[in-house]
Amino acid sequence: MRSSFFACSNPVSIAVILLLILFSGIFEITKAQISPPLGLRQNRVGVYALTNAKIVTSPGKIIRKGSLVIRNGIIESVGAKINIPKDATIFDMSGMTLYPGLIESYSNIGFPKPEKDKKSEGKNGGAKHWNENVTPELMSSELYTADSKKLKEYRKLGFTTALSAPREGIFKGQSALLNLGDGENAENILINSVNQHVTFSKKKDVGGYPTSLMGSISLIRQTFYDVQWYKKAMSAYSKKPSLGKPDENESLASLIGVIDGKRGVMFEAYDELMVLRINKIVKEFKLKSLILASGNEFKRLSAVKKTGIPLILPLNFPEPPDVKSPEKALDVTLERLKEWDLAPSNPAMLNSAGVKIALTTNGLEKLEDFPKQLRRAISRGLSKEAALAALTTHPAEFFGVSDILGTLKKGKIANIVVTDGDLFSKDGVVKDVWIDGKRYTVEKDPESEPKGKWAGTIKFGERETKEFSLELKESDKKLSGSATVSGKELKLMSAEKNGYRIAFSFLTDSVGIDGITMMTGKVKNDIMNGVGVAPGSPIVIWNLTRENEEEEDSDEEEKFAAATAQITYPLGGFGRPSLPKRQKTIFVKNATIWTSGSQGILENADMLIKNGKISKVGRNLKAPKNALIIDGTGKHVTPGLIDEHSHTAMERGVNEGGQAVTSEVRIGDVLTGDDIGLYRELAGGLTMSQELHGSANPIGGQAAVIKIRYGSLPEDLIYSKAAPTIKFALGENVKQSNWKPSVLRYPRTRLGVEQIYRDEFRAGLDYKAALKSKGGLPVRKDLELDAIVDIMDGKMFVHCHSYRQDEILMLMRVAEDFGFRIQTFTHILEGYKVADEMKKHGASASTFTDWWTYKFEVYDAIPYNGALMHDVGIVTSFNSDSDELARRMNLEAAKAVAYGGVSEEEALKFVTINPAIQLRIDKWTGSLEAGKDGDFVVWSGSPLSTLTIAEQTWIDGAKWFDIEEDAKLRVVVMKEREKLIQKILSLNPGKKEKKDAEKDKKNHSNKIEEEI
Amino acid sequence: MRSLLNKLSVIILFVFIPTATSILASDEVPSKKQDHPIALIGATIHPVNGDVIENGTILFENGKIKEIGVNVILPSGTESIDISGKHIYPGLINADTRLGLMEIGSVPGSRDDFELGAMNPNVKAEVALNPDSELLSVVRAHGITVANSFPRGGIISGKSAAIMLDGWTSEDMTLKAPVAMHMNWPSMTLNKAWWNKTSEEDQIKARKEALEKIDQFFDDAKAYMTAKAVSGKNGLPNQKVDLRLEAMIPVLKGDLPLWIAASEIRQIQAAIDWAESKGVKTVIYGGADSWRLAKELKKMNIPVVINSVLHVPSRAWEGYDTGYSLPNKLYQEGVKFCIGYSTFAGEQHNVRYNAAMAVAHGLPVEEGIKSITIYAAEIMGIDDRVGSLEVGKDATLIVTDGNPLEITTSVSMEFIEGRIIDLDNKHKRLYRKYTEKYRQKGLLK
Repeated sequence: MRSSFFACSNPVSIAVILLLILFSGIFEITKAQISPPLGLRQNRVGVYALTNAKIVTSPGKIIRKGSLVIRNGIIESVGAKINIPKDATIFDMSGMTLYPGLIESYSNIGFPKPEKDKKSEGKNGGAKHWNENVTPELMSSELYTADSKKLKEYRKLGFTTALSAPREGIFKGQSALLNLGDGENAENILINSVNQHVTFSKKKDVGGYPTSLMGSISLIRQTFYDVQWYKKAMSAYSKKPSLGKPDENESLASLIGVIDGKRGVMFEAYDELMVLRINKIVKEFKLKSLILASGNEFKRLSAVKKTGIPLILPLNFPEPPDVKSPEKALDVTLERLKEWDLAPSNPAMLNSAGVKIALTTNGLEKLEDFPKQLRRAISRGLSKEAALAALTTHPAEFFGVSDILGTLKKGKIANIVVTDGDLFSKDGVVKDVWIDGKRYTVEKDPESEPKGKWAGTIKFGERETKEFSLELKESDKKLSGSATVSGKELKLMSAEKNGYRIAFSFLTDSVGIDGITMMTGKVKNDIMNGVGVAPGSPIVIWNLTRENEEEEDSDEEEKFAAATAQITYPLGGFGRPSLPKRQKTIFVKNATIWTSGSQGILENADMLIKNGKISKVGRNLKAPKNALIIDGTGKHVTPGLIDEHSHTAMERGVNEGGQAVTSEVRIGDVLTGDDIGLYRELAGGLTMSQELHGSANPIGGQAAVIKIRYGSLPEDLIYSKAAPTIKFALGENVKQSNWKPSVLRYPRTRLGVEQIYRDEFRAGLDYKAALKSKGGLPVRKDLELDAIVDIMDGKMFVHCHSYRQDEILMLMRVAEDFGFRIQTFTHILEGYKVADEMKKHGASASTFTDWWTYKFEVYDAIPYNGALMHDVGIVTSFNSDSDELARRMNLEAAKAVAYGGVSEEEALKFVTINPAIQLRIDKWTGSLEAGKDGDFVVWSGSPLSTLTIAEQTWIDGAKWFDIEEDAKLRVVVMKEREKLIQKILSLNPGKKEKKDAEKDKKNHSNKIEEEI
Repeated sequence: MRSLLNKLSVIILFVFIPTATSILASDEVPSKKQDHPIALIGATIHPVNGDVIENGTILFENGKIKEIGVNVILPSGTESIDISGKHIYPGLINADTRLGLMEIGSVPGSRDDFELGAMNPNVKAEVALNPDSELLSVVRAHGITVANSFPRGGIISGKSAAIMLDGWTSEDMTLKAPVAMHMNWPSMTLNKAWWNKTSEEDQIKARKEALEKIDQFFDDAKAYMTAKAVSGKNGLPNQKVDLRLEAMIPVLKGDLPLWIAASEIRQIQAAIDWAESKGVKTVIYGGADSWRLAKELKKMNIPVVINSVLHVPSRAWEGYDTGYSLPNKLYQEGVKFCIGYSTFAGEQHNVRYNAAMAVAHGLPVEEGIKSITIYAAEIMGIDDRVGSLEVGKDATLIVTDGNPLEITTSVSMEFIEGRIIDLDNKHKRLYRKYTEKYRQKGLLK
């Protein structure tokens, strides 16, 4: 394998090549320059023929033996039998393979890491977007500074081109496509604006809005709407200057190409659900998009595929979780264990599913891990062809450069990787890369490689010949190691090499030569020999030959072991290979049925459910043939419980706390079906909840009403029949009374809270009027005010966090003044004080049962609150506001009996039909009545007894919790954990430390290769 | 007082309103010392440590139980109360509260549960109990007659007091003090949540420092104890008093148990290993993972005060009932335990339903009752006075219309040391007041 590939291996051609390398910065013949020459013009020859090579022209297309001609940076011809031009410098590439240069689909090459101590409140000035996280106008091509060290590292891996984007922000700016040559930026930049880059994370150390994922999503949406508006407004102004000029905005202007579909957006997804969230934005604004994915897309393969968005996949597969002790193993979730096991299959799974993928080194801790990680992906079934496509043709297509990059084809840029061996196998070595027709040597001439183990003999003067061996290592370009003479190990005191020459020294007292012996020698291929000077022995002669290292690490093979974990929904604990299915016909027999409807509580009753809907409830019903029979003898059956106030299934922030009014944010954007809290709630008989924004703001975000379908996709949680709702909040939380906010925010009193409402609704009226008015500049679509208008128009319903009676009255009066009604006061611990006014207003109430004294405003909270409001005639429910409490809402209902003597039948309604009425879904849920959703719970006894447990929880005629299935799932969880922990433990952790970079290259046997 | 405060508040509104504790006063009047024998007749008596007595009588005098049985001869002057159909249980105990020390969570002026500094073994709960706290009468109306009240701050938080939920003064209320020394074991795991801003390095460093601090403090205390024992003797100088170290002597001697707050397995392991090495009498408080170490705890005779049955499992892969079934697991393994419940939301009375949830998930119902009566008394070292119905113990008991583990069961009568307890409270007062409002408006009958 160490055959020389210089056909013209005479000193002259070597010198020419050296020159090429040394002076490549000024060696410029392929492009027209506008700068005047420095001294004399240089007109070197730029014609090369790479002959006798195996050429992979594009994924799957291989010329077994052929040639490729480069002229002035462009591939002139390629083929098995082509004419080599007479003016070409010929390189005999026998034994070598040529591949198209690899394209890095995402990087931050040339962008320094942000300064650490930079703190900011997040506001921009000038003609830019107001938010510091929105900087779409930034151009990588302008900000880029070449980092020659980094470029070298990339080239070493075979990369010749890379996309480079700014590091931070929500709208980060525009990426550039760069060739990875050493020359000036100008000559390396292929495209100066490829994509706009959008993330969902703020810049580090930048305060202010947004503070949550839903806030980021809203900011992104609003920004795109702003661009649409800006374009229209500017155009209207240019046609009719008398309309007045809209404020200049460089940021928005820079995004016009994006909304026009001229430029793409690369979104960054930090998990698989983000891909789905991004897809919503992409479809809303008809964007051309790519996603820099997280590597977990295998968890939701079909949903990810359905988006049709190409993905750029990282290879930073998770490290094996630390399970070194039983206690540490406890910390590791089943989800993490499975991710570790399955993530290397991600590229293969997506590729076979037909998702268009590219691969990136982005996310790897060390760039040099790329080949190994790629091999792991390949070992899991990603074909080499697909891998090559993901590094060449696909990115070329994504970035619109298929005509100039991606394959070795006539007319394309001469970006080439030269390897000794298969690029994707362990013993494949990148020798050279050619960029723009310029050669960059990657692998040093192996002829003079001193590293490794050597064995032979040594002779000190006239003494007898002794056994001699040498082991040399290299780190940071410094040689070190040890010698062994007659079995005595002697540490090298110095070692250095210079070309083929090597010199080293060691103390030889212990072998009978007092003092230091100095050696000088020559390395050529597998032979090293030379002479030395030892005290008292004028001439030392030594001869060594290279020892093959066969003890290569077996741990890698084990790390490459096939995935064994099962994909379930969700991937973690209590997930199932497929979600529960609706039973066609269900017959509940002989149970005590609490209907929460007009039939009251029926003993020894039956219930028939067909196709997910309740068909009949009553005594002595007939079970249809083929019905699934649930024997309810001794059991109680109730409607599925409903929680008006939950924060269970949401990701990255319950509050958008960045502003006092955030009606633009939507919980529906950040739902997840993977929250284990959902399963625990099912185990407590809960089937529905309203997922509410927190109480940080007078006007919070829009809520989502969900069915507790644990493991579903976010969109499948949402109960679409529910009317839109929004969270408001009053009192101590919104005025930020109980902590020290870093920046004081208006309002700080209940007085100010009221004014915030009045101001906002006034603005809503103005906005509504403006939308209706004709003439003038186009009105900017305002997501915040859209919601406010919907509220006033009775299309969106308010659920307001509230405690004190004065603020309850205040908000009702504000609402009345603006012509709408508060749907539900939630928590409302002083509702009992103004129940009459609430009744008049038409508000309902959802309260905590017996929480009090945690804040000053709840000092008058009483557990009789629910009963008293109910008795006055208000539709009253109990809510949880807690993943813990939501697991036992039936017992909360019992407190309406205990405090205030509400009848048991009515008390249960506090957690069934009453919250359904509040959520305006009582037509379809909340009670066991014909025509309604088949949501019900089978209890071991009375639902109001603390000694009762839920045995089955059904949603739409599908069983989402079953206490017997739960027992089985626990066994599955234990077994899966055990299996994966065993797998990790058997990885032989001792070897991990040993892996050093050079080892990979020297490995001659690669069983993985043979396996695939 | 109220009017004075109102006047003051006009002047210094912002300073006083949120911090004034003196407006936080209950109206229930403590009853006078038992001055005549009382017999409760005809009830089902649940002595807790013995068989249930149907149609029984309990006689108590001077605050102590005189007799329990079916045919009890009543001395003259006995006030006998027929409570046929009702049940009598020992007064319930919540071993984990801040009653009297904290009124309103968000109002610092109403809180005395966090002293400054890491080491506060010298501070004592019983000196700062507010007998007029509105929480006391709410909690006791649910049958909880005795509570352990203790501060929470720092590493060593201070000493707890067993308090009876009735009395004119903190001294009246104190049943036993100190009950225990309270300590928070540092977290032995790393918080890796996305929102956590403290680096793993800093977390490890903080833990290391805390553990060193603990060892140093105990070494100091030991040295102090040694020096103190010989102080001024045989010509040795007098050792000056150090309040903190002085307070540790009973702990070092094994006279005062050390309740160590530890929930996660490594926390409990570290705590018990450390306690063993120091020869300290230990109780694990919290104990979510204690069932994983049940055999060890049993062997070492370390009891567990479960601070919440109603907690969500800390690990996503654990069964939904991990918290619910914890008491039963300890019971099955023979580990001594009791159940307490202290929340920020004023729900100390819901300790009953913590025990209930344990029963729903396997714990025998009798054990459920014991976990909030006699077991709590034993661990608190007050079982000579309360926790079961036995002759000679305090007449601290409740009369209910059913199993106190049920939410719908109500307490109709309550005695503490034979004194009949006013079961009214702020909740009921406000309920009556606003019921009246709606009667006036014709909305209620």
